[in-house]
Amino acid sequence: MLALALPLVLNQYLQYVVNLMLVYILVSVGFNIVVGNLGQLAFSNVAFFGIGAYASGILTTQLGMPWWLTVVPAGFCGALAGCAASIPALRGVRLFYLAIMTLAFGELMRWLYIRTPGLTGGSMGLTVPEPAVFGWMLTNEYQKFYVFLFIVVVVVIATSRLLESRIGRAFLAIKNDENAAAAMGIPTGQYFLLAFALSGFVVGIGGSMYAALVGHLSPEDFDLIQVILHFAIIMVGGLGSLIGSILGSILITATPEVIRHFEWLVGSEEWIFGVAIIVVILFLPRGLSSLLAKVNPIFKDRYYRD
Amino acid sequence: MIEQIQSVLTNWDAMLPVLPQLVVSGIAIGMLYALIALSMTILYRATTVVNFGHGDLVMLGAYALFILMPMVTFNIAVESSALGLLASFVPPFLVALILSLLVLFAMGYIIHRVFIWPILKGPHLSLALMAIAIGYAVRGVIRKEYGKEVLQMPRPFPEQEFELFNWGGFGTYMTLDEMIFCGVVIVMLLISYIVFSKTRFGRIVQAMFQTQRGSSLVGINVMHYNNLIWGVGCSLGALGGVMLGLALALDPDVGVWTLLRGFAAMTLGGFGSLYGAVIGGLIIGILEKVLGVFISTAFIEITCYLVIILVLLIRPKGLFGQHATLRI
Amino acid sequence: MALLTVTNATVQFGGLIAVNQVSFRAEPGKVRALIGPNGAGKTTLFKAIAGEEQLASGTIHFQDQAIHTLTPHEISARGIRRTFQTGGLFGELTALENVLAGLHTKIPSSFGGLLANTRSAKAVEKAATKKALKLLDLMGIAHVAEQWARDLSGGQKRMVEIVRALATDPPLLLLDEPAVGLAPPVRLELMNIIRRLVDEENIGVILIEHAIEFVMTVSDTIMVLNNGEVIAEGAPDEIRQNKNVLEAYLGR
Repeated sequence: MLALALPLVLNQYLQYVVNLMLVYILVSVGFNIVVGNLGQLAFSNVAFFGIGAYASGILTTQLGMPWWLTVVPAGFCGALAGCAASIPALRGVRLFYLAIMTLAFGELMRWLYIRTPGLTGGSMGLTVPEPAVFGWMLTNEYQKFYVFLFIVVVVVIATSRLLESRIGRAFLAIKNDENAAAAMGIPTGQYFLLAFALSGFVVGIGGSMYAALVGHLSPEDFDLIQVILHFAIIMVGGLGSLIGSILGSILITATPEVIRHFEWLVGSEEWIFGVAIIVVILFLPRGLSSLLAKVNPIFKDRYYRD
Repeated sequence: MIEQIQSVLTNWDAMLPVLPQLVVSGIAIGMLYALIALSMTILYRATTVVNFGHGDLVMLGAYALFILMPMVTFNIAVESSALGLLASFVPPFLVALILSLLVLFAMGYIIHRVFIWPILKGPHLSLALMAIAIGYAVRGVIRKEYGKEVLQMPRPFPEQEFELFNWGGFGTYMTLDEMIFCGVVIVMLLISYIVFSKTRFGRIVQAMFQTQRGSSLVGINVMHYNNLIWGVGCSLGALGGVMLGLALALDPDVGVWTLLRGFAAMTLGGFGSLYGAVIGGLIIGILEKVLGVFISTAFIEITCYLVIILVLLIRPKGLFGQHATLRI
Repeated sequence: MALLTVTNATVQFGGLIAVNQVSFRAEPGKVRALIGPNGAGKTTLFKAIAGEEQLASGTIHFQDQAIHTLTPHEISARGIRRTFQTGGLFGELTALENVLAGLHTKIPSSFGGLLANTRSAKAVEKAATKKALKLLDLMGIAHVAEQWARDLSGGQKRMVEIVRALATDPPLLLLDEPAVGLAPPVRLELMNIIRRLVDEENIGVILIEHAIEFVMTVSDTIMVLNNGEVIAEGAPDEIRQNKNVLEAYLGR
């Protein structure tokens, strides 16, 4: 609830950063469904992000749809991409084979952004008109904030309901022992598809928010630095933890802003995130949320363990 | 694309003479893919870790040479006259190369000892993410220090072309670079074969490939040998990286480019198969060139993606691999 | 009606024949034990019944329906549940959640219902939780319901596995070495539980075990496997005196 008061204290620029954090909360919540809950390594997240963003962009520029109407379709495009990325799972492809496949899928997507200038503006990029909600134009960061906050809250609550249910349980069961999960009657291949589709939906919505936030999309926005960004958020926050996604998003999104102030560090995001992940794996495998859970039980969620 | 395929089929006679050139060039680059896939397979067989950061270590090999070159030339020039005379027989490039391979060997050793070994018993996900993170850390540092502009590798030998044979008015050429690459890789394959089958080290490694636990039970110091194997794998990769650097240019993003082609080769050949990695690499090299000319230049980039996706959908174990899918 | 009918089942791995023309019937309300030296093909046979391995030839019918062509989750949804030799428990889930996972197919909450947190979705989950707790209580481990499964003791883990397998009242239960690593009093308890299930609930049980006294006490029929083939089959007393069985175990 305190969050609602933020626009009163922040200037436009900082508000922009907070909005970016909201975008990445969705990105990481979605990513965690596949990596944290289902327990699979996948590189497709940036592909879902980009597809959602470009879907919003294309629908607003080419079909003239107002932005708010493109949010859910962007999610569906992400979900569709999720299905496509996980079709091999229906045939029994697992582990690093699946990871490599998603890597190939992600790179293929990036190649497509550049090679279909008719749709995506190619390397020149796509300029997205100012986002409109029910006829109102969102002209400043504060307005965007309230809209984004609403979307994030709705999506996160819906996601947490699914993850707490038998569906989330099935994901975790598959993560722990897929054979045993199948022996419980869980159709594991279909659940792979479901996890990827859900992930794609959530991340796709994040993508459409990103389009509204930055106003101009180009293929470089969805390159390999994005990939490590996504991994850094969920690792630092805590795999599979919703609270971790929020913490991780805040911390990792703030990092480039902090770096900006140190001349010698400019351009270092890549290796800093790499080192952060290494440190987390060696010393704090369950991420920040596990650390905070020791301090205050509020931060406990299913992955907390001492 | 359909029109392109149709035009190829109708122009078959006209385009056929180009085929040998494409195959030859394809084999040349395929040799590099093969070497890199081989180095990745060695790491995978030994420690069952798929090193997602390997591409970046390969890239590091090229940059290591680039960085060491000026230091080596400087030093050799300053040596006393007697040593300097001797040194002038040994090209600085070779010295820098050997130093780079040693540096990458050390890196591979340290990476395994410090970052991989402690978490080997944990979830596979952490291992994969550790490898990825190491790759990114390496790439990030390189990009920050040297990535601002496209750099050129120092060339130890001139650019030259040789005509192999002529067919229908089209000559099939091979550059000196390509011949040296093929030569180097063939020599490395022979050395690897001899080391694996004839030396004590090779036999121990083979035992470890079969079963780590069994090996430790008979007294093999698994950690020590894994460290060495990682050193060797990264060195081999670095050699491939240097050659790739000569063939292309120095670019921090070569890492993922390499990784994907390495994976494509391993997937096609069958994960874990040493022969498969080599043959897979050659086939992909040839496919890239042939499809790139006969169908569309797009294939130069996307062949490896398509190979991965299609092989995993149709025959996941590749040519020589073993079970890769779950019965679900 | 026989619960499970296995006819000339053969499982092959490349050139190695792991299960060779095995045939038998499992009846409801009876315990059939599968014994034999290591590597005899017992777990492979289980895997074939459960759908994890494909038959090279032969058929398996469950309640008169062919199941050897089905996938594992389809087979378990039909009513065959199993425990595993090693692992099989979902370590990161609590004991209660493990059992709830076992109840997965019997929790009819719809996707939309879960999203909207409807009353029916909540009610269905609550009913399942109640049933799971009751089952855990029956086995005497309700007090560990909220603990992570991987932190439980060996005996407790085994109990959770059995509760999880029983949660949906399956007509056929496959137990793979359930007594391994259990202390004698716990084994005794396990034996009683199995007999009770079989006598009172009329469940059919197929059991792989190495502990001979366990097998002799609890089974109605014993089948001895060696090198993938059935070398003896009969009541415990007959098997005890069978020369072939002694040879297979002691080697001659």
